[in-house]
Amino acid sequence: MNIKRSIVLRVRIAFILVALFAGAIFYRIVHLQFVEGDKWQAKSETLNFQFRQVSATRGNIYAADGSLLATSLPFYRVVLDPLVAKQDVFASGIDSLSFLLSSYYKDKSADSYKRLIKDARSSGKRYVILNRGQIGYQDMQKMSRWPIFRKGRMGGGVIFEKVEKRYRPFNNLASRTVGFVNEDKYGAGIEYSFNEYLEGKNGKALFQRIAGGSWKPVFDAEDIKPDDGFDILTTLDVNIQDVAESALLRQLKEKDAAFGSVIVMEVATGHIKAIANLQKNSGGYGYGENYNFAIGDQGLTEPGSTFKLLSIMALLEEGKINLKDTVDTGNGTYRFYDRNMNDVKIGGYGKITIQEAFEKSSNVGISKLVEEQFGKNPTKFVSYIEKAGLDKPMDFQLRGEGVPYFKKPGEKNWYGTTLPWMSIGYEAKLTPLHTLTLYNAVANNGKMVKPMIVQAVVRGNQIEKRYQTEVLRKSIASNKTIQQMQELLEGVVKNGTAKNVYNKEYKIAGKTGTAQKLIDGRYSQRYYTSFAGYFPADNPKYSAIVVIDSPKGFAAYGGDISAPVFKEIADKIYSQDLELNNKANEDTFVASTSSEGFPYIQAGKVDELQMICNRFGISNHVNGEFTDSFVKSSAQHKAILWRANKTDAPTVPDVAGMSLRDALYVLENKGLRVVYQGKGRVKGQSISPGSTVGTGNVINLVLG
Amino acid sequence: MMQDVKIWFDRNLKGDPIIWGIVIILSVISIVVVYSATGSLAYKYKGGNTEKYLFDHSLMVVAGLLVMWVAHKIPYKTFGLIGKFLLLVAIPLLFLTYLFGSTVNEANRWLTIPVINKAFQPSDIAKLALIATLASLLARKQKNIADFKNSFIPMMIVIGLVCGLIGLANMSTAVLLFVTCLLLLLIGRVPLRHIMLVVLLGSLFLTTSVFIGQRGGTFFSRIENFVSGDEIPFQAEQSFIAISTGGITGKGPGKSEQRNTLPHPYSDFIYAIIIEEYGLVGGATVLFLYLALLFRGMRIVASSTKPFGGLLSAGLSFALVLQAMVNMAVAVGLGPITGLPLPLLSMGGTSLVFTGFSLGIILSVSRGDHQDMVESPEEGNNKIRKSFQTA
Repeated sequence: MNIKRSIVLRVRIAFILVALFAGAIFYRIVHLQFVEGDKWQAKSETLNFQFRQVSATRGNIYAADGSLLATSLPFYRVVLDPLVAKQDVFASGIDSLSFLLSSYYKDKSADSYKRLIKDARSSGKRYVILNRGQIGYQDMQKMSRWPIFRKGRMGGGVIFEKVEKRYRPFNNLASRTVGFVNEDKYGAGIEYSFNEYLEGKNGKALFQRIAGGSWKPVFDAEDIKPDDGFDILTTLDVNIQDVAESALLRQLKEKDAAFGSVIVMEVATGHIKAIANLQKNSGGYGYGENYNFAIGDQGLTEPGSTFKLLSIMALLEEGKINLKDTVDTGNGTYRFYDRNMNDVKIGGYGKITIQEAFEKSSNVGISKLVEEQFGKNPTKFVSYIEKAGLDKPMDFQLRGEGVPYFKKPGEKNWYGTTLPWMSIGYEAKLTPLHTLTLYNAVANNGKMVKPMIVQAVVRGNQIEKRYQTEVLRKSIASNKTIQQMQELLEGVVKNGTAKNVYNKEYKIAGKTGTAQKLIDGRYSQRYYTSFAGYFPADNPKYSAIVVIDSPKGFAAYGGDISAPVFKEIADKIYSQDLELNNKANEDTFVASTSSEGFPYIQAGKVDELQMICNRFGISNHVNGEFTDSFVKSSAQHKAILWRANKTDAPTVPDVAGMSLRDALYVLENKGLRVVYQGKGRVKGQSISPGSTVGTGNVINLVLG
Repeated sequence: MMQDVKIWFDRNLKGDPIIWGIVIILSVISIVVVYSATGSLAYKYKGGNTEKYLFDHSLMVVAGLLVMWVAHKIPYKTFGLIGKFLLLVAIPLLFLTYLFGSTVNEANRWLTIPVINKAFQPSDIAKLALIATLASLLARKQKNIADFKNSFIPMMIVIGLVCGLIGLANMSTAVLLFVTCLLLLLIGRVPLRHIMLVVLLGSLFLTTSVFIGQRGGTFFSRIENFVSGDEIPFQAEQSFIAISTGGITGKGPGKSEQRNTLPHPYSDFIYAIIIEEYGLVGGATVLFLYLALLFRGMRIVASSTKPFGGLLSAGLSFALVLQAMVNMAVAVGLGPITGLPLPLLSMGGTSLVFTGFSLGIILSVSRGDHQDMVESPEEGNNKIRKSFQTA
């Protein structure tokens, strides 16, 4: 046979083989369609597949110092594919696994867990939800070391299905500002306003519907991986926020008020350090953060006397008055057209200087001056409002900012009485945030910066977007006017309506406000009290506004209701802020060291205390031998003696003299719950040392 | 009018007109079916822009046809040399891909061409180059084909090296290429006992690369699953549903339901989608077209005057059609899931260009008018020509 014929023959044989193979394929198609057809068609109806969303991990929200305000924590649901485990693994592990499951969930006996899994295995079920409860990450880690589970998804068949939950480490702190987003992508606060960054991009994966309406992921299919969200770094200060909320809450409770808001802002940058909003719960008991009155629509109100600052600014800018000029407020009542303007003081202030009129918040005085100056040309007055940037929303970073409302001369609802009343903060609407921005500009020597609450969008250490402080107005008035306004605001605290918040340590400057509330078109006997200002007045660092709505009781004025809250917040910030009170700290150190020998070292961890003493060159000795790491001290001549504190004994330990941190560690390790009051080291404890420990008992500590 | 078209075809499309016809019909089917099958893909990745895939795929199909046209203009004898050159290029490329290539399903198979930013599989080049080189070697050794040391060893080294390297990342392709090479050796009159030895050594080589390669685990678990038959993989199940619900005439173009759940409906399982949309009739037609392609390739062997042309044509036709058969066999459940695309039909990007190139070579051989190109005037060759002419 020659070469070519041989080759051609071989090719033909190969072709016939391929043709036979093609025949087999054809046969198989026919078989699938006509013999197995019913089976597959039935399956196509029962199997229900869907590409379902795989959620991206939502970004975190941080306070300025990096404290977590909101984060997404993974929780897991435990599911088992009982067919995956090989027989020997299954047989040897099923008993202990059932036992562990039963003792973990405490809902079924070990036997019934065993039955559940075995039944599923023998009936060929591939997806058994062992428990609908969701477990945390730590527990998931623990469970994945259990028998069968420890072989993983491929070897043991365990599936930990991730469910993300939003978690706030500080609970309700700034809860409305941190906000929320619901499934319809509607919400409030930072969560809502920055959702675009936080949510990330969801992925997709193929899921199969299984009995009971659950969806089981199909791992063979092609998926799109989710793209996790960015983190939001806010300007909020957890400590200031805490102080603001607790001070506000105390006053609201005391006065049984309807709601209140506090904003604390850094003067130079416009960084908002705290926003607190508390509203009486619908049941009437307690207060909760339900609406951002500081910023939102519902926070729009007639500002009242805090607005007089703008009136004074307009008057001073016109340059025709002097603060020492007098104005006759008469007997406290002055008639504009058909309406009486009244002062708070019955009988009136008589003839007083303009400065006094502002400090005492005389309605008659301010409105008379404004009417004299701008009565012929109210548009001029309104132009000062525009110049100060109060007439428009500021495009604040949170959505839902309230839109200020001012009447315009020439409009239908502009009456002869509008200008005088507007000059004292009526017939106009502003949010607390707007008012604060004005006061902040005065504190900032006329430069108006835009308030901001988010400073950066980040992922890991990577900054995606940084928000800089924005200057809204380089200067809202002349230097001279600003200086005079600052004097006036300091005067209010020194001589005027807010005398009760005056203190010698540092200067507060501000203005009280008390507005009668307009309810159903009539002014009622309910008040909206406020205090806006800044501190320390000599070199302002923070500005803040406190508003409290509808306080009950006799003294319902801004000076009595809101100003004390302002002072409490200012005091705490002042005492905590190292930059502000360097001097004060030095004083206290000197005082305490001179009073007694070694008062500061009383009790604590031996190694830490020894290190401190050695560093300061104080000689110290151990008395006897001991193993405990906690000690008490006593002074001996010019040295310190350490004695074992026996905190490892099974009784209530003696924590007197310890710092709160050490005391909490020692007591909570014993299973006690600690409640404390005051500041400093432990002075006394409610359960005496040496008594038996009852787990969960509450022990009260007094610090001082 | 018709006359004009015919004249144009005669002038420009040389070679077997039936092969041209089959390729063009398959290309059209490919564009239509891929358009339907990429619907869910477009929704997932391109925000519903289905035309994006249609356009990209059509472009590649046209590029493939263009390359085919260019290749069929080249005298086939040069492919022996081109093949050897490509092989020298392909071997380092395979190494490069194994080490640095981009990962799809945990296997490095793709290498991106820097300037035009298109990813391609170096195994496509290697496949082509190996078959061309093998055909040339076989043709040259025809006189002493039974010589173990001089004929057999060199061929075995080349096959083993290339298949082994491909097997590092893509076991299915390597095995299929290996089988194709064995078939080509058989056709090329290599003694059966030698081939049995190759089978032995080859399987040894492949086993080694399984253990040091990336996809060995997947490869064997798939085979194990298939042989044991107790669990039908998700893809296969979805494929069977597509085939059985297609019926005799199918659900109609673009009416596939399984494309939403069946993974890779536009490549690995395109045959299932074809049957779902066009029924048993459509499936049989496609099957027939591939067989016809192979038949025409075989006829070229019979009509060619030199062993190199015949073996080249046979090798390339079998490589193409065998892959098609394997792909279709997977879709209908006759083989384990391999991940091999259906040549000429699947959306395969640059693979279509290489398929076009192979077909161009086959056509070039089929032209027959290149045969009077002068070969190296060796005695042996003259003798073979003589013996061919006597046939």
